[in-house]
Amino acid sequence: MSTLLEIKQHVNNFFNKYEVYIRPVLKLILALTALLTINSKLGYMQKIDNISIVLVAALMCSFMPLNFIVFISALFIVLHMYALALEAAIVVLVLFIVLFLLYFRFSPKDTIVVVLTPIACMMGIPYVLPVVMGLVGGPYSAVSIGCGIVVTYALKSVNTAASSLGSMETEDMATRFRLVIDSVIDNKGMMAFIIAFAITVVIVYLIRRLPIDYSWPIAIAAGALADAIILLICSMSMDADISVAGIVLGTVLAVIAGFITQFLRFNVDYNRAEKLQFEDDEYYYYVKAVPKVTYPASRKRVKKINTATAHRPQRPRHIEYDEDDEE
Amino acid sequence: MVDQERVILMTKLASFEKHEGRKNMSIVNYFRSDYIGFQILKAIVAATLSFAMLLAVYLFYNFENLMADIYKMDLLETGKSLIITYLCAVGGYVVIAYFVYTYRYFKAKRKLKDYYKGLRALENMTDK
Repeated sequence: MSTLLEIKQHVNNFFNKYEVYIRPVLKLILALTALLTINSKLGYMQKIDNISIVLVAALMCSFMPLNFIVFISALFIVLHMYALALEAAIVVLVLFIVLFLLYFRFSPKDTIVVVLTPIACMMGIPYVLPVVMGLVGGPYSAVSIGCGIVVTYALKSVNTAASSLGSMETEDMATRFRLVIDSVIDNKGMMAFIIAFAITVVIVYLIRRLPIDYSWPIAIAAGALADAIILLICSMSMDADISVAGIVLGTVLAVIAGFITQFLRFNVDYNRAEKLQFEDDEYYYYVKAVPKVTYPASRKRVKKINTATAHRPQRPRHIEYDEDDEE
Repeated sequence: MVDQERVILMTKLASFEKHEGRKNMSIVNYFRSDYIGFQILKAIVAATLSFAMLLAVYLFYNFENLMADIYKMDLLETGKSLIITYLCAVGGYVVIAYFVYTYRYFKAKRKLKDYYKGLRALENMTDK
């Protein structure tokens, strides 16, 4: 444990020291991951499915605000959809504009979750998101994750309908449009995930805020369990196609991710918690103080190996200083 | 000699001013009713645009059925139900926006009050 704490301390120090350089690098990695994932999963437009264009776009993102990654990712998605079919591009564009107009005006800090959700889904770890967002975000993160799930399933559905779209006549625009909309709306899995993830975020958030010992581990366990149970119920009642093994594995991963988040954000020692009571003119205070688990920074010892100074005569220990000398 | 307490306070104040402070000041520069009114106006525009786009998608989706039924339809009744749906959607969104922006206004005001309290404390430290 102390080794982990030491590593955390070193990482913190390193981040604080080189924050100016690390932030753009992290943004670059996130943008690269997002754009490469989009290209690998969609990849209908050959012109932007090119590593040099992805690199230039990711480099631009690294020097811009975080939300620029969302904008560039949305642009890439719409362009790929346009290459597939104009109808698909219109549907996805309308979806993005409505999300932007209605929700992201309120919560610009949370916008990045909409990019992270599809990436997590494509990596097969979507269950991690509601637990982690419940720990680091607020209850409104449920809406952000919901939007991310809608985008993920919209892309997945259009991808599935791509072969049917390709075989249809281009003149039959209304039918193609209806096919795209139907494939997006008629998705029971999407509804199951939105309901389960929203409830999980709220449960994790509410429990971690409770003034009880071990609130964070309880919140992680309760959230992960609730997520699994709701998904199982939804998959059975709505007849949604959700893999049970995926739910179990995802829940285990969510718990692990939750504990890693706790270690990084809220590492406290409940055994050394103190309950204090004091008063002032107006109030009585009942305070519970829980100390953080920290690792004392190791001090560098300087060992003198210079022989010339080692043999220098030592100053006598008891020297009487004049008052002027002290100044 | 460096006064550690003063440096900590100055750092906190400077950090607030750089990040949240600027945003909060721009909010509190308005009167409460003006700020919330302006935000609600923007919310109405956003909701109207979204409604129009979703309606366009719906109309295009049902284009063939609508064209077939357009002469049988009671246009006045359809228009009325459309307006009621629009008002309900925009009304619901405006209520949410009202609560969110009222909360934000008071939060910004409270944070700025703390900031000014910090500034006064810093001034007292400097006077000593």
